Amino acid sequence: MANTFKSDPIEFKPAVAQPAPDSTVGIVAWMRVNLFSSIPNAMFTIFIMLGLANFIPGIIDWMFISSTWSGVNQDACVGDGACWVFVKAWSQQFFYGSYATDQIWRVNLSLILLFVVIVLSFTLPASYRLKVSVPLFLVLPFVCIAILDGRLLGLEHVNTDFWGGFSLNVLMAAAAIIVAFPFSFLWALGRRSDMPLARSISVVFIEFFRGVPVLALFFMGSVMLPLFFAEGTNVDKLVRVWIVLIFFMSGYMAEVFRGGFQAIPSGQYEAADSIGLGYWQKTLLIILPQVIKVSMPNILATFVMLFKNTVFLLIIGIPEVLQTLLTALSNSNWLGGHAIEGYVFVGVIFWVCCFGMSMLASNIEKKLDTSHRN
Amino acid sequence: MSTESKIADSVEDTIIIKDLNKWYGDFHVLKDINLTVKKGEKIVICGPSGSGKSTTIRCINRLEEFQRGSLIVNGVEMVEDVKNIEAIRREVGMVFQHFNLFPHLTILENLTLGPIWVQKKPKAEAEEIAMKYLERVKIPEQADKFPGQLSGGQQQRVAIARSLCMSPQIMLFDEPTSALDPEMIKEVLDVMVELADEGMTMLCVTHEMGFAKKVADRVIFMDAGEIVEQNTPEELFNNPQTDRLQLFLSQILDH
Repeated sequence: MANTFKSDPIEFKPAVAQPAPDSTVGIVAWMRVNLFSSIPNAMFTIFIMLGLANFIPGIIDWMFISSTWSGVNQDACVGDGACWVFVKAWSQQFFYGSYATDQIWRVNLSLILLFVVIVLSFTLPASYRLKVSVPLFLVLPFVCIAILDGRLLGLEHVNTDFWGGFSLNVLMAAAAIIVAFPFSFLWALGRRSDMPLARSISVVFIEFFRGVPVLALFFMGSVMLPLFFAEGTNVDKLVRVWIVLIFFMSGYMAEVFRGGFQAIPSGQYEAADSIGLGYWQKTLLIILPQVIKVSMPNILATFVMLFKNTVFLLIIGIPEVLQTLLTALSNSNWLGGHAIEGYVFVGVIFWVCCFGMSMLASNIEKKLDTSHRN
Repeated sequence: MSTESKIADSVEDTIIIKDLNKWYGDFHVLKDINLTVKKGEKIVICGPSGSGKSTTIRCINRLEEFQRGSLIVNGVEMVEDVKNIEAIRREVGMVFQHFNLFPHLTILENLTLGPIWVQKKPKAEAEEIAMKYLERVKIPEQADKFPGQLSGGQQQRVAIARSLCMSPQIMLFDEPTSALDPEMIKEVLDVMVELADEGMTMLCVTHEMGFAKKVADRVIFMDAGEIVEQNTPEELFNNPQTDRLQLFLSQILDH
């Protein structure tokens, strides 16, 4: 067939791409499409704008213009707006609880280690990213505990009663999700298993911890869990809560992982089988890395939920940031009604962290969409 | 049954399938399949979709279970025993319609995974083998890329190389060119023809009739879970015995 073609064919040149017409790009076009596309839509836009114009100046005035920033005690709070002196004076407690001031570097070191490991897990070259970051993550909680507790490292011992503040929220959430990770993976495998016993145990576990409110779980952890420990052993309250958080989290994450497993095409299992890989080789070398990758945005979303849930620890008297705020509000030197400032402050720091994680999640999602897919 | 029990049969016959029956629930997919494949024989299986051709070859390395009948590969009988299944999978390579490369591993890692983890070869040796086969499928320069960076035709050639790295006795091809753009079919078929010329035992589910005519010793036509006809390619295509095959051929050839 090929030898019947013309001997001197016409050369084909693709046409040059042209820019899109002006009417579809730019801010005016964007507003027309998104804000004023129809009469009800335009009215709604104007209504919302008026509402914002009504409230926002008042809020800005309270927060920034009429607010008090300098001073050291209640006496400074004379302005009409917010008295940020209150937050400033209590900021160390809000972040570090009652941890001894000269030992605070240990809390900071733990937070820095956490941050470094997270950054490494996103920036290391793909070829050994998992191999390095997974072990780092798994030892991290124990390293942090050793640093904060101090006894193992020959540092001054700081009893867990003194741990607290926002750093405790962060570290508790991180330590819980990290340890929950391998467990949730096993629960998810169990739920997908062909073995009826493994499957039913997994289903019961997962559904129990997903179905029971986290507050009830915390009470169980502080009241019921000691009954299971050998008599005479006094397990630290924070450890008990940690165990509860791990169980709670692994229930949720098992479902996240199950979704991840379902996203892996059956061809991946078949290809692994046809090469002759065994069950665990197939699961750990082929399936797990892909499951972690597709589940990453959902893992982060679950983490945001867990992170916010750590404020419920106040209900069993753990001095996390909200509990510290309540203590500060009832302090006799600060009875000036600073509740709004305090709650706004706690709200903002949580929001900044959670929003950051959401951004990270959507970033990962975008990357997943374009990166090497099969 | 003892593991890897050798069953006395002609050494020439690498695959012996007797009265194979398979059901999906109540649906009878394979009905009394009988097929013997000699060492070095190249067989093409064709037929309409849903005729059971893929299921048949997937039974050979037990990606599919079957409920009745017997299947012997290289003297090892396929039974409910992990050892036997693994022994058979070591002898049988498979190439899939959708390539099924591991997207999170580089091309080289895709190829060395089996030799390192299944055959327990040292990494350096596995990489040497991998590069040898990548050269054979003519893409050694892609070794450090990820599967998603390759074209479909290149991915399928990598998939063939990945199977060959395990030095299989038998290669199964499950519609290896059906998911490819027309411009890429030839590069994959060329590799397959080369493999056939080297004497590999091959079972190919494909609709590439040119390929069948070129390399097949025998073409099998299946419909409704049965082997309807089998013959040399010339006889089967030029002289169909059944109305079903005549209809099939008229539909795939007349345009």
